[in-house]
Amino acid sequence: MSEQRTLLCDTAEAVFAEAATEGMAPIEAAGFGQLLVHEGDGGFGGDWGDAFAVLRLAGAKVPHLPVGELIVGGEISRPIGAFIRVAQAAGAMDAALAMSIDYVNTRQQFGKPLGKFQAVQQVLAIFATEAAAVNVAGAAAAAALDRAGGDADAALFEIASAKLRTNKAIGQATSIAHQVHGAIGFTREYDLHKLTGLLLDWRSDHGNDAWWADVLGGMTAKLGAAGLWHEVTRRADPL
Amino acid sequence: MPFPLRKPSHILVYILLTCREIGCLRRFATWTFKAMWHLSASRLAGMAMAMQQSFTVYPFDPPGDVAALRAEIRAFLAQHEAKLGVPNCWVVGDPEFSRALGAAGFLGMILPQEVGGHARHPLERYVVIEELLAAGAPVGAHWIADRQTAPLILRYGSDEAKERYLPGICRGEIYTCIGLSEPGAGSDLAAVRTSARHTAEGWRISGQKIWTSGAHMSHVMLALVRSEEGSERNAGLSQFLIPMDAPGITIRPIIDMGGDHHFNEVFFDDVLLPEWAMVGTRGQGWAQATAELALERSGPERYLSSHVLMTALIDAAGPDPEPQIRGLIGELTAELWTLRQMSMSTAAKLAAGEDPMVEASMVKDLGNSFEQALPQRVQALVDCPSTRDDDLARLMRALLIAAPSFSLRGGTREIIRGIIARGLGLR
Ligand SMILES: Cc1cc2nc3c(=O)[nH]c(=O)nc-3n(C[C@H](O)[C@H](O)[C@H](O)COP(=O)(O)OP(=O)(O)OC[C@H]3O[C@@H](n4cnc5c(N)ncnc54)[C@H](O)[C@@H]3O)c2cc1C
Repeated sequence: MSEQRTLLCDTAEAVFAEAATEGMAPIEAAGFGQLLVHEGDGGFGGDWGDAFAVLRLAGAKVPHLPVGELIVGGEISRPIGAFIRVAQAAGAMDAALAMSIDYVNTRQQFGKPLGKFQAVQQVLAIFATEAAAVNVAGAAAAAALDRAGGDADAALFEIASAKLRTNKAIGQATSIAHQVHGAIGFTREYDLHKLTGLLLDWRSDHGNDAWWADVLGGMTAKLGAAGLWHEVTRRADPL
Repeated sequence: MPFPLRKPSHILVYILLTCREIGCLRRFATWTFKAMWHLSASRLAGMAMAMQQSFTVYPFDPPGDVAALRAEIRAFLAQHEAKLGVPNCWVVGDPEFSRALGAAGFLGMILPQEVGGHARHPLERYVVIEELLAAGAPVGAHWIADRQTAPLILRYGSDEAKERYLPGICRGEIYTCIGLSEPGAGSDLAAVRTSARHTAEGWRISGQKIWTSGAHMSHVMLALVRSEEGSERNAGLSQFLIPMDAPGITIRPIIDMGGDHHFNEVFFDDVLLPEWAMVGTRGQGWAQATAELALERSGPERYLSSHVLMTALIDAAGPDPEPQIRGLIGELTAELWTLRQMSMSTAAKLAAGEDPMVEASMVKDLGNSFEQALPQRVQALVDCPSTRDDDLARLMRALLIAAPSFSLRGGTREIIRGIIARGLGLR
């Protein structure tokens, strides 16, 4: 991460800590609505990579707040909405993973922490891998948006791939998170549902699996067999 | 704009987000921003710890003209079109193809010119090998030599070993095999018992390796053996280069469930090796073999070895497939694309000189699962009775049979997930 993006994330994290109880006001006051506005127009001049990094944090710290909607502003198109959800899911999934690891390292049964049982270790490895897939897919979709100058239609291939992959990961990740938490994770009092409940909502938002699979499958079929590989490589190769 | 200047972080955000439009103040603002940052860093650190990340993305940025390099390897592939489209292609050997690849400068790409290599960047090699795999090229003869044995010899081998083997590997003429597994040492590799005894004439190797891929086509094996009598577990192991035509070696084929002769048993009966055959430092075999495994596990072959089935599916479906097939193609595309991003990032991390053990394990596990599910997902949707004999049906059947090996070779799924769990701090 660039130094500037690291600073942006650290400040965002501090603002989100306050917003967790106070709602959108601190986020709006801090000017996050100007994140993507050009410097020439008085904005921060951030790119989609910056937006991804901030939204990833928002997904972990303030998943219930419409931070993405503030950053993008105005009418949200389906692809951009999908990108917002992917970025939030990347953070929410890493946060739920961290909670799960913490929990199994603390909770003892049969005389030792749950995390020492191989069955628990193996499902958390799956969880971590799914979270990784979402984080990588989201970052790559952001890079595609930057390459396309913010034109979501030109980055549709990557956004479709990222949202579809994220939707798939949400199913596995949320069920593993709850399984390793046992009954406590099923309570209103315990915070896990604040992440998992929203993750499950986001799976439906801005296109569910079937919708994006249809869009992406149509694109790939039109590209043809050789065309798919050429397109996948061409779109990511350094210019 | 109202702004609650209560915490240093808020001042930072304020300056960062609102002051920049004032042209003449911009440099000042940036400067202040940085100065403030240093002042407040310690307080911020306590306030909000940087969030844990499951996967750090490394930019895939090979030097030089990547498009031109892709065009070069694609032109080479076009000349050999009749040989392409092989499923599970990195275990299918074709020495003629390997020699042609060597002659065209696509083997030993990351080795120095003195040993016949091409001094290219590891990510340039990555571009070439992903093209070969995506096309289903028969790269099995040279694959292990080019991927792991040559870099290991370069790093740890004696001058004799470098002279003897590296130029031939770069020409696509010398092939190697991996001598790790033994009957009593599968996942538990530290249980290796094959021994090396130091004598006046050199080293004497006795014991047995098993599941050795391509031993029957190889010129030399890089083996992990116990060089220190009475040593236990991962101490006292060393790596040796064992010429496969040395007296005392017996190779017995093991036919796999697809009917192919791919792996073997290899017996060593007091095989004599010269001093220079030892690779690296005596007793450091475990650490070296671990470095070798990083090369073995981190490549794109862990998700691309069945790509030809995906292309056959897309071909058969045509430009406007029925909704169910279109949906499957969409899902597969999303998974393939995501795996490629993860794989490229892992390669970039390795190229940056860092250890991508956890990332490589994630790519391998996810890639193996993707590739194992692929033929089954095709089977579930496309009508392929056993009498059907087009490309799609043949590839599907071949991969249904090959698929169980994907999550065994190179470390089983359970072992790989154990490595990921260790990365999470659970072990
Ligand atoms: C096609 C193919 C090619 C190969 N090529 C080579 C080669 O070229 N060179 C070479 O040296 N080896 C090679 N191998 C061997 C491969 O590395 C081993 O198969 C692998 O390490 C597993 O060892 P094993 O088969 O003895 O299984 P085992 O270790 O006996 O494992 C059997 C099952 O038990 C599970 N298991 C074992 N230990 C644990 C544990 N601690 N916790 C949980 N589960 C466990 C495993 O995950 C697996 O599911 C090849 C294998 C295949 C299938």
